[in-house]
Amino acid sequence: MQKLVIIGAGMASGRLLEHLFELDPDAFDVTLFNAEPRGNYNRIMLSPVLSGEKSYEEIITHDEDWYARNNVACRFGEHVTKIDRERKVVVGENGEVPYDKLVIATGSAPFIIPVEGRNLPGVVTYRDLDDTNAMIEASGKPGAKAVVIGGGLLGLEAAAGLRLRGMDVSVIHLSGHLMERQLDEAAGYLLKRDLERRGIKVHCNSSTAAILGDDRVEGVLLEDDTAFQADLVVMAVGIRPETRLAVDAGLEVARGVSITPQMQTLNDPDVYAVGECVDLDGMLFGLVAPLYDQAKVLAENLLGGEATFVPKDLATKLKVTGIDLYSAGDFSAEDREEIVLRDAAAAVYKRLVLKDNRLIGAVMYGDTADGAWFFDLVKNGADISEMRETLIFGQAYQGGTPLDPMAAVAALPDDAEICGCNGVCKGKIVNAITEKGLTGLDDVRAHTKASASCGACTGLVEQLMSLTLGDAFSPAAVQPMCGCTDLGHDDVRRLILAKELKSIDAVMQELEWKTSCGCAKCRPALNYYLVCDWPDEYADDYQSRFINERVHANVQKDGTYSVVPRMWGGVTSSKELRAIADVVDKFNIPTVKCTGGQRIDMLGIRKEDLPAVWADLGEAGFVSGHAYAKGLRTVKTCVGNDWCRFGTQDSTGLGIRLEKFMWGSWTPAKVKLAVSGCPRNCAEATCKDVGVICVDSGFEIHFAGAAGLEIKGTEVLCQVRTEDEALEYIVALTQMYREQARYLERIYKWAKRIGYDEVRRQIVDDPERRRHFFDRFVFSQKFAQVDPWSERVSGKDKHEFRPMAIVPKEAAE
Amino acid sequence: MDAAVLDTTRTFVEVTEIWIPDGDRLVQAGGNYGSHGEFEAISGMESFAKGEGLPGKAWLEERPVVLKEFDGSYFKRTEAARAAGLTSAVAIPVFADTTLKAVLVLLCADDDVRTGAIEVWAEKDGLLMLEDGYYGAAKHFEWVSQHTHFPRGQGLPGGVWAANTPMLMRDLGSGYKFIRADSAGRAGLTTGLGMPVPVPGNRAYVLTLLSARGTPIARRFELWDARTAKVGTSGQAVLIDGICAHEGPLWNEDNPRRIGAWQGLVGKALGSGLPAVEHGRPSIVHGYDTMVALPIYQGDAVAHVVAWYC
Repeated sequence: MQKLVIIGAGMASGRLLEHLFELDPDAFDVTLFNAEPRGNYNRIMLSPVLSGEKSYEEIITHDEDWYARNNVACRFGEHVTKIDRERKVVVGENGEVPYDKLVIATGSAPFIIPVEGRNLPGVVTYRDLDDTNAMIEASGKPGAKAVVIGGGLLGLEAAAGLRLRGMDVSVIHLSGHLMERQLDEAAGYLLKRDLERRGIKVHCNSSTAAILGDDRVEGVLLEDDTAFQADLVVMAVGIRPETRLAVDAGLEVARGVSITPQMQTLNDPDVYAVGECVDLDGMLFGLVAPLYDQAKVLAENLLGGEATFVPKDLATKLKVTGIDLYSAGDFSAEDREEIVLRDAAAAVYKRLVLKDNRLIGAVMYGDTADGAWFFDLVKNGADISEMRETLIFGQAYQGGTPLDPMAAVAALPDDAEICGCNGVCKGKIVNAITEKGLTGLDDVRAHTKASASCGACTGLVEQLMSLTLGDAFSPAAVQPMCGCTDLGHDDVRRLILAKELKSIDAVMQELEWKTSCGCAKCRPALNYYLVCDWPDEYADDYQSRFINERVHANVQKDGTYSVVPRMWGGVTSSKELRAIADVVDKFNIPTVKCTGGQRIDMLGIRKEDLPAVWADLGEAGFVSGHAYAKGLRTVKTCVGNDWCRFGTQDSTGLGIRLEKFMWGSWTPAKVKLAVSGCPRNCAEATCKDVGVICVDSGFEIHFAGAAGLEIKGTEVLCQVRTEDEALEYIVALTQMYREQARYLERIYKWAKRIGYDEVRRQIVDDPERRRHFFDRFVFSQKFAQVDPWSERVSGKDKHEFRPMAIVPKEAAE
Repeated sequence: MDAAVLDTTRTFVEVTEIWIPDGDRLVQAGGNYGSHGEFEAISGMESFAKGEGLPGKAWLEERPVVLKEFDGSYFKRTEAARAAGLTSAVAIPVFADTTLKAVLVLLCADDDVRTGAIEVWAEKDGLLMLEDGYYGAAKHFEWVSQHTHFPRGQGLPGGVWAANTPMLMRDLGSGYKFIRADSAGRAGLTTGLGMPVPVPGNRAYVLTLLSARGTPIARRFELWDARTAKVGTSGQAVLIDGICAHEGPLWNEDNPRRIGAWQGLVGKALGSGLPAVEHGRPSIVHGYDTMVALPIYQGDAVAHVVAWYC
């Protein structure tokens, strides 16, 4: 009988033994080493053991009897110190064992972030039963706090388990969304929301700087100086193959032990490797399914077969009770198409990724019933063109009649609740339509309150109207924001506030976007709406901004950029001009030009030079002129009564005051102001978005002018007596525009759409409302008046300014 | 297994009965009365209007109700219960959305030996507080529970509340070092079954059955998931967790058991949407004399079935 020695009693080697004994129980005399003082147990069920939903005894795969029945010599709790390939022996702490065939199944070791404090007591990894018991022990302290570093599968299962154990748990995750290797942003958003509902605090985009504590762990410090208290820190940031024995034995090792598809090491035909420790052509394996496939292949080959291990697509599940997610295949491929289904009420998100009429990936959250079926379609490469229209609804809908939403609405009983916010049932709506002769959605809203609050039931109400009125009902034509949604800008803005949606992912899920991550039309708009509505809570998503706003400069036709520093009210000084001249010389800026808004524009700057240009300008006191922004651009002024014989007021002073008050604010489209000191209007205030004409008795405030593609004189808003009043009215008007306009809609178009009198009604005739607009603008400025140039000089978004690779001209040609 | 102790003398729950609406009254629709034939006979002749007796109170108030003292209470069968040695009861309404489908009543006998817990937790100010509970001889554990609350996601009640799904916890006393664990260990409580009790409106209730070694509530527990999000439109249910004194773990991650509607007693609860109680029938899993299957709704659909066997 040949001697087989296996190092490591994990899931791969456990399955290997099962196959081996099944195929030929007498082929080998087996010795099994394991550093852990126990045999094989189902490691992937450690999370339920941690949470208390399973006991360790339940997850034991092979007990003492099993090993005894199969004559396995168990060397548990004994480390292997050496593999001597020349003598063909494995050296353990308690003596050596000869082998004819050797299997290395050493698994993987957790990756430890190399930060200060990582070795403190109370910092644990999460790989085996001892780690699990250490966490259970730590959770015994009443009120104890845990920080889990890593929002992947293992980290989140640990977090949920510790929370069930009664701990106060925070998850720190480096990426922008949880489980980014398995989920897209939309599913990541739902997962985060579900975990937060369990009382787990989730912090994405967070990088660990240090683990704090003297004698034992006391907290975790992030790179942004945020600190968390912690009695326990769980590091679950990944694994790497455990290869030390293989390296010492002179076996070929890449990231893991290099093997052939037959599971044989590359330079010793009698030594095999299996499980998480292997590296097959650069591929590593961390999930259990390929490990089991490997075990089967290896069992056959140890018995003289020629089986081949072929890696397959993998599916992922998270073992947290009550969370249903499923991810399989590839959902980041290029040239892909996608089908997305969202059900906000049921918190369901499904996304199928297609390429060449084949399903290549699937992400599901909240409804995973068809996960296995989709996974089969991915694995089989089936042509789905025949069922494309109904594919997203799952297996049960294939070959059947397409779903008819109208039939579903018709089948609802009269007491079925349509509007959850106001408790309005179907019968009440139908009665109101028929008895009162209602034909429009607004009429139904007015009479029944259905769809009048959050609006989530608007579609249902419209279907009811269509059902009741037939052709007499024609829904109001709403121009959707883009192809990702049927909702128009106004509905989206209203629902962001009504449903308190505070992230792009939340908007897309709760408003049932038809795509997984939006498009170049809707993302910038949503980003603006969220910045405007939740200035203190929403984190501006720069990736949802156009290039000029991302790099804080205007891209030119040759790929260079122009830079316009802010000159308050168009006023400058010799010091500022010298600084500009120095920058122009230092960076060989080819063109310097005065703008129509009374600023100096430097054109032809290379992208990688921008931070250095800004640094020099910043030292001279300049901040960004926001010449690239959907925001306040310039306040143009004339010299006013300081110098001009006709000047009636200090127009320059008012312009500077307005600009200093309003700079930095984001608006739906660009905003240009001007203040003229007299009706001769040298600052051309009557063609600006907002203009002021100073007169002897005060200030005439104008708005809704245009002098671009369209030419339009301003409308008069009102006349006020003092500068303070002028400031309040202009700021309130700007805030009203910020809150009510559609993204990219200039003031003149917005005001025309809603009516000039409506603007006057809200700003002039309603002092309380005006004051509220003003106060909200002031509040938002607390978060907006940060010079983006100085931020970038200090390193923010530095990836944006890295030079492109320089390709020699000949090579490029 | 911890929950699997076979040398039981008496179980914690003596009588289990089902009451279903018939017009404007609740009528008996089965149950397990064990050796309490007289109580069974009297119960068979009884019916309850809304608000009447314990089942009627659960119906009227649309919430689970614990009654620990029959004398002088609204309990209608006090004499018969006293004769049978029954001292306490818990009524669990089963609602499909806003429609009452049934009321499940568990009756217990008090003595100095029997330990276990049937608890009703209710949401108040963002926390789960103990509405009431019956603990038998576990008086210290009762006191601890009365002074405990659970945030979302913490402990068995908080976990059930957050996940909106039934859960089965092992090792309540030994490995489980949560707030009440020390006292639970001393009381001999081992296995905990928690389940949401959906009622009309937005109120959250969680029912927990905590089983002890010597006087178990059950020796076999099963949790079945019947949500369309899990099983599609098949009408089936899949066994997501379970533990048995005879068979050990019942769950199988790779190949979970499935049943269809009307297939066995769990399938009966799944198909009818009503609780099922069986006693002394061969159809019960081998080795067990009685079983209870309780459907748990989400909206108007059965989402889960929990079953326990003695």
